[in-house]
Amino acid sequence: MDVDTHLRDASMIDPKTFSGAFAIAGMGMVVGPNDGYVPGQSRLMLEAEAVRRAIEDAGLHREDIDGAIHVHGGPRSGDGALEQADTYTRILGLPVNFYYRGGRGGGEGTFGITLAATFLSLGAANYVVISNSKTNWSRSQSRKRAGHRGQQAEVTPEGRWGYAFGETSAVGAHSFFATRHMARYGTTSEQLGSIAVQARQWANLNPLARMYEKPMSMDDYLNSPVYVWPYHLNDMCVSSDGAIAIVLTTTERARDLAKSPVLVLGVGFGDATGELWWEKTNYERLAVSTAKRTAFGMAGITIEDVNVAQFYDCFTGEVLMQLEDYGFCGKGEGGEYALEGNLGPGGKLPTLTSGGLLSAYHMADMTGISESVLQLREEAGPRQLNEPSISLVTGHGGEAAPSGMCSVHTTLLLGRE
Amino acid sequence: MRILPSRPKVNMDPVYEPFFTALANGEFQLLRCAECGEWYWPVAYCRNHNNLPFLGNMQWERASGKGSVFTYNVQHIAFDSAFKGQLPLVYALVELDEGPLFASNVVDCPPDDVSVGMAVEVEIAQVNSHEDYFLPVFHPAQPA
Repeated sequence: MDVDTHLRDASMIDPKTFSGAFAIAGMGMVVGPNDGYVPGQSRLMLEAEAVRRAIEDAGLHREDIDGAIHVHGGPRSGDGALEQADTYTRILGLPVNFYYRGGRGGGEGTFGITLAATFLSLGAANYVVISNSKTNWSRSQSRKRAGHRGQQAEVTPEGRWGYAFGETSAVGAHSFFATRHMARYGTTSEQLGSIAVQARQWANLNPLARMYEKPMSMDDYLNSPVYVWPYHLNDMCVSSDGAIAIVLTTTERARDLAKSPVLVLGVGFGDATGELWWEKTNYERLAVSTAKRTAFGMAGITIEDVNVAQFYDCFTGEVLMQLEDYGFCGKGEGGEYALEGNLGPGGKLPTLTSGGLLSAYHMADMTGISESVLQLREEAGPRQLNEPSISLVTGHGGEAAPSGMCSVHTTLLLGRE
Repeated sequence: MRILPSRPKVNMDPVYEPFFTALANGEFQLLRCAECGEWYWPVAYCRNHNNLPFLGNMQWERASGKGSVFTYNVQHIAFDSAFKGQLPLVYALVELDEGPLFASNVVDCPPDDVSVGMAVEVEIAQVNSHEDYFLPVFHPAQPA
């Protein structure tokens, strides 16, 4: 597979030079009660602590950090930028040259990595922290006290058409994907359920996962209430309080630090605006094709080289479609592929090895990035895979325009030396 | 006219005002390009050619209101408590005969009988008879 010609023509540097030039040197997580998490923390304080842990993990000191990027999902997810008047760069005493906030949809970390790589290649910084934070679980609890359900109903950004028709939650629109896929390809609830069940099996091996001590059988899944048909409760991801941070630097610098570098082998981006609004081919697939081609072309590898997949799994349907859209199985065969047990522990394509957004913690694609770091550094404990060398992380999301759906897709390939 | 129980307001860009004025007057309109005739929803510049500033070549025009269910879901819990008395609620994306996809509710049809491809047509409803707030919903099309 090669980089698409027009992309190569457009790029000023050879994408293959980018591949492997930058590395994640450290990672910090604050994601659960077994993780030193103190309930009631603000997003700012959660994020500051995750950043502190990432710097320490890299073997760096606060004075080494000269750039910071906060990433977020934007208003669609009810999860805007960290907009406190204060900054964690001040709280932690980081002498940065820049601190920016940005993002859209769930490809948060991949966007941050791409931006940080640019700063690093311009010589504007040597060590950049990239971080996100959420308090969606706490927010859902306060919504509940007000008589509502879920985390999303708090905000109605301008242009939110669907709210008046009952689309007051993420699942209220995302289940459109599953319905359309079921109608077109005969996908079943049991097939979707097998994705949730296998993610849960991984979560049962991850002490930080929300569902660590909560096994789930197929019967449990099928008997769980249908919240928004065709989705059962357990087709839906968890919402979390937490923060994850990484330190990005050049691979050359990372080699001198405490942990083995986790290399950025490829990044790619896709957007389904056209598919949504005029081609009308969305709801059966995600905007994978350009993102995949760019990232895999950059890395000079194919899906055959992928040892572990951290697909964006806000709902089971997104996983199903990515299995097909990346080519791990044929179009329309994702349900069968999942039901065969290929995703869980011992499966052909270990997928969502942390438990994912479905069963572990929802920190957007920072969940998949953190899990890739642990797997590639062989620090994943009971769920550690046998010497994985390539991890695929994806992102998905974006605001919902009037009747629209998440259009963002990101591909990130991480590896080791 | 059908009266819908009270529900949250849509929060749209002011550019949609003519659409809501037309609804209040009993007409379901879409944005149409005066130059090539292509229909749009939501509001957009025409993709087929260059455009005049600020949608100058686009106008709101009565649409057939006919279409078919492209995809849908059935809401069994009220994430916003405003919908508590209105469940189960069918939320659907309708592919209008003019082309655009349009999100709304399917009414007058048991949720189990809704299906992808089902023919539907528009009906203008008033939200809470005391409010000057109108929304388009869709019911199954009458057999021809």
